[in-house]
Amino acid sequence: MNFNVSRKDFLTPTWFLIAAGLVAGGAMGLYEMFLGHVFATNSALVWTLPLVTYIFLALMSTGVSLILAYGLIMKDEAITRHTRALLIMAIGMLLGGFTALATELGSLLNMVWILLSPNPSSPIWWMGTLYSIELVLLAVKLVLDLKGRHGVFDLPLAWGTLLIAAAAAITIGAVFGTVIGRPDYQGAFLSVITLVSALVSGAAAIVLLRPQSTLTDTAGRIFRQTALLFAGLLLVRVAYEAHSTVVGMLGWASIWMLVPFILALVLLQYAPRIFAFIGILGVLWVQYSFIITGQLVSLGQTAHWYGAVQSYQPNIPEALILVLGIAVAAALIKLGGQFLMDERPPAT
Amino acid sequence: MGYGMVIDQQLCVGCAACTIACKIENNTPVGFNWCDKITRTSGKFPAVRYEYISTMCNHCDNAPCVAACPTQAMYKDRQTGLTLHDTNKCIGCKACIVSCPYGVISFNWERPHQHWAQRDRLAEGCFSPREMLEESGGEGSPHGNPERGTTYPVVRPAGSVEKCTFCDHRLVKGLAPACVDACPSGARQFGDIDDPNSEVSKLVARHGGKGLREELGTRPRVIYIRDYKPQRRFEPARPAGENQGA
Repeated sequence: MNFNVSRKDFLTPTWFLIAAGLVAGGAMGLYEMFLGHVFATNSALVWTLPLVTYIFLALMSTGVSLILAYGLIMKDEAITRHTRALLIMAIGMLLGGFTALATELGSLLNMVWILLSPNPSSPIWWMGTLYSIELVLLAVKLVLDLKGRHGVFDLPLAWGTLLIAAAAAITIGAVFGTVIGRPDYQGAFLSVITLVSALVSGAAAIVLLRPQSTLTDTAGRIFRQTALLFAGLLLVRVAYEAHSTVVGMLGWASIWMLVPFILALVLLQYAPRIFAFIGILGVLWVQYSFIITGQLVSLGQTAHWYGAVQSYQPNIPEALILVLGIAVAAALIKLGGQFLMDERPPAT
Repeated sequence: MGYGMVIDQQLCVGCAACTIACKIENNTPVGFNWCDKITRTSGKFPAVRYEYISTMCNHCDNAPCVAACPTQAMYKDRQTGLTLHDTNKCIGCKACIVSCPYGVISFNWERPHQHWAQRDRLAEGCFSPREMLEESGGEGSPHGNPERGTTYPVVRPAGSVEKCTFCDHRLVKGLAPACVDACPSGARQFGDIDDPNSEVSKLVARHGGKGLREELGTRPRVIYIRDYKPQRRFEPARPAGENQGA
């Protein structure tokens, strides 16, 4: 641990940006939770950008966890040398996602209650439970790493994280895939999309946030491979939706969604951080698109109130929750980098 | 034993008395209708067809909202077959709303009826909304029905969903749901749909009938019989002498 952190370390442009995000997003989150409703939602369109933020950050954290677990199991030194940094990233992103989710649920305590009154038939219960276990496993690994205790527990913990993280990502897809009345959601495809998008965004996040030559090479290779797979899956979905005759299906996939991943595939080696960032934006676009589109067709009596098909544009308060989630993740990653890393990153 | 409702489309006149009765009985906030409608216009002039389908929670046997709820806040009552909701367990995740294929669950984004807390008077000498509330002694709004509070909060809390309970607070007193009693044409019949000798079961046996979106496998307990046909306007739903009540 590093206790030689001075006030100067916080007077940087990055910290100013993070602080601005925390203040603006935090104020909006608190307002939504305690004072009044400001999100662009209604009784037929209930999961909007704040939930997208949670899923985006939780899946990105899952991707980082999966890649770290893979590195530990395969004893890939390019990854294992950065164990602590990757653990901090995964924890920071997951807690950023939980923060966005708390504004969506209205209370932090609601996230605890989910564990106390379980319904095993509910994918959301499994998602909450798996991510809680994932967070505990990540925290245990971080504490063991900080104490320098490596040994017999490393491999079982890595396998545990791998299995829990993969199950959690698949379960997020199942939250949507098990909805029977909405054709844009229903089916196993979204579980595949969430698992692969976790890997794509996790690998891209590592390339973006840990620009080290060997790690960038390894994470960049995983990013390119998974981006190719993701682009292929999107292409399949575009073809399916083009030929679909399912009543009530709007279709969330677009051929343009392939562009960020093809760009990243071809050009990543020239500007890794830029194309990793573009890849992350591409994943956010896909996740946003399927989560929102699935709810746009009004069901039953809600069509009378909101029209047969709704339109949705995120409003400023919702955009600020996205900023809040990212700012919390960034703050925790930055704090971890400053306090918990032996080799401190330069102040930026 | 399992309650169910039969709605006779031939008898329904589309007056929305059911919707209003439900609002009054259950003190639902502005914009929430536990009992509502689907309207469909089809065909081409002069062969135009207009359908009015009264809707509410279908209290499905295989309820997607119950399966999706992570905290068992949405649950099936084994004795009555009703799909009920416990606001104390509801965490506001809205999974039930997304899962319900009928769009009959509403979410309280804010404290309901909060406009009744306003102290501003529209004109000098008038009651303010707050004063009206205090004068009436109602909970949440001057129209709050205290009997509703025996099984479900009169004012459901912010951050919680709410939905039709088939007026379970009336059922325990041997009364039919408010929408059934309010229907002026006797289009709504209520009873033990699991009992083949009940009125509702006999109606279904005689006329067939189906629930909404049955193809999804939800097994709804609200059954619609007899699509409206002008030529059978004078045809009785039941043989002469049979009880018309619930």
